[in-house]
Amino acid sequence: MDLLKGFGNFLLKELKELVRDPKILLGMIIVPLLMFPILGGIMSYSIQSAQEKAEQATVLVVNNDGGNWSTSLIAFLNFSARVSVENNKVLDNNTILELLANYNITYLIEIPEDFSAKMNQHQSNQSVIAYVRFYGAFSGASLFENIGSSVIDNLIYKFNRHWAPDSVAINKSTIIKGNVVEGVDPNILTTLMYSQAIAMPITIMILLTYSMQIAATSVAMEKEEKTLETLLTLPMDRFAILMGKLSGTILVAGIGALAYMLGFNYYMSSFTATFPAGTSLDLASLGLVPSVFGYLLLGISLFVTLLSALALAVIVSAFVEDVRSAQSIVGYIYPLIFIPALALMYLDINTLPLALKILLYAIPYSHPIIASKAIIIGDYLTAIIGIVYVTAFTLVVMYLASRLFATEKILTAKLKFKGLRKREKTPRGEFQ
Amino acid sequence: MSLAVEAVNVVKNFGEIRAVDGLSFNVKNGETFGLIGPNGAGKTTALRIAATLLLPTSGTMKIFGLNVVQEAAEVRKIITYLPEEAGAYRNLSGWEYLEFMAKFNTRSKDEAQQMVNEAAEITGLGERLKDKTKTYSKGMKRRLLVARALMNKPKLAILDEPTSGLDVLHAYHVREIIKRYVKEHNVTVLLSSHNMLEVEHVCDRVALINKGKVVAEGKPSELKEKFGSANLEEVFAKVIGLA
Repeated sequence: MDLLKGFGNFLLKELKELVRDPKILLGMIIVPLLMFPILGGIMSYSIQSAQEKAEQATVLVVNNDGGNWSTSLIAFLNFSARVSVENNKVLDNNTILELLANYNITYLIEIPEDFSAKMNQHQSNQSVIAYVRFYGAFSGASLFENIGSSVIDNLIYKFNRHWAPDSVAINKSTIIKGNVVEGVDPNILTTLMYSQAIAMPITIMILLTYSMQIAATSVAMEKEEKTLETLLTLPMDRFAILMGKLSGTILVAGIGALAYMLGFNYYMSSFTATFPAGTSLDLASLGLVPSVFGYLLLGISLFVTLLSALALAVIVSAFVEDVRSAQSIVGYIYPLIFIPALALMYLDINTLPLALKILLYAIPYSHPIIASKAIIIGDYLTAIIGIVYVTAFTLVVMYLASRLFATEKILTAKLKFKGLRKREKTPRGEFQ
Repeated sequence: MSLAVEAVNVVKNFGEIRAVDGLSFNVKNGETFGLIGPNGAGKTTALRIAATLLLPTSGTMKIFGLNVVQEAAEVRKIITYLPEEAGAYRNLSGWEYLEFMAKFNTRSKDEAQQMVNEAAEITGLGERLKDKTKTYSKGMKRRLLVARALMNKPKLAILDEPTSGLDVLHAYHVREIIKRYVKEHNVTVLLSSHNMLEVEHVCDRVALINKGKVVAEGKPSELKEKFGSANLEEVFAKVIGLA
């Protein structure tokens, strides 16, 4: 027992020191306590609203059959959902798009002309199956956007149970960028795409947090090791010092991100190889991989976001004296990275309530994720608007960072956690 | 010939605290001038203002005629500054650190190399310069940093407590470096110290500072004679009414 003599006393001291450090208390305990309930709330709201929306949405049925069974099916659907019917329409690409636009819906069902005949045959020969066709639009914006597909699955399942098991099956097609792709279930496509596209928000999340840590540590290290004062008296522009810090960090973080993406890509490829049979979809042939221009926009979006994050990390770390404090203080910025990354991983920003939508658009770190989704469906404007916004934000942050480096505040500014006020007020002037 | 340093009624406030309170002194070209006084007297703040790190709340300070606020970038070209607790980059070797610093002063590779060679000689660290600075003792690190501050022959070297915390041998070495280098290269030195005995051996003139103000100024020998004291410590005690 002598081995542990003094352990309790020492542990108590450690706990006191850690818990009384407001940076640790806020960053490690209070922030996660708040962040995850907020995130959970957003997620459950979004899933619920997507489900309600799908249930309340009009189900458009194009009836090309005219027999008794199609009437029964429509009546059955009408019992659970609001159904509109269009009779005898040849569904080519343009007609489908027109109908979706006219009814402001994302999917429709076609009852083909042989539906009733097949249903009748099924009575005597159960191997004969009557098909309905499902056409769902795909935008890749949310994991739950094709919830309509599941709603129809459910309704047909109930119809089968009511009339005859396995009498009706669904032939699903997906409308991608205005083109009908036969035989592709939008739901499976969404799931498959998300299993791959999930890499982007995770990469952005890790890249931003990792590089912010490096930037904050790098400035704090100069302070802790007492090299900053010497550096600031050298015959070089202080903006060059700031840019040197940011560039060094970007390079290290970039290499880190590349290594991470390579590893993650390997992980994802091993994951999709075991995907269930029948889902061997090639996203490239469906036009669901970004173009070179799309990749360029994503790269720019990522770069400006990274720059703003690093400049922000440099600013906040200038207010503390040592590495540990710097690492804690950048933790306050993490919710602004984690919440958009995790929320936008699954959700369509357009389906969120207005206040949340504005909040997510206002957070600069949302934009590379929004851009990564937008470029897949060729929506370059969204990506460009995001880049313009983040660039403006970055310029403001860079300006603030350069002002900070130009004045004595880089040495004298300190955060006082009681009320988060600055401990000392210094003259507003700056060196020329 | 303009003065090397001209401080006129310099005041520096940190919130409620007045660190420097109407400080005025002049340093002539080529001399070694010491600001001496106890901890908290305002020496470091005064040196930081001279080194363009802090802005004076009021008053002016000029280095060779250049205003430290309006012409800070020009001032930085002719000064070097050694902070009291300065460190070197831990993962660079002493040699690499000197090279890194030399490149800020010249674009010529030959000149930079010459500076590094000279600094290497000043440090007296020999082969240890190849080791990372994190392996250096406090005295070795200080020798490296003093050499860095002098290697480019600045017009003004601002040295804050150059021998603080060093043992007798290292302190002696650092003092010798300063004395020798100033004579050889006509470098003006503005230094601070709370070790008044040591300053007598290094400085041509001194200003005794207490509570942010100059309370006495002159050559050490003159001050000792004026106050009938054996050393500057006694002079200081008499000036502030302790003795």
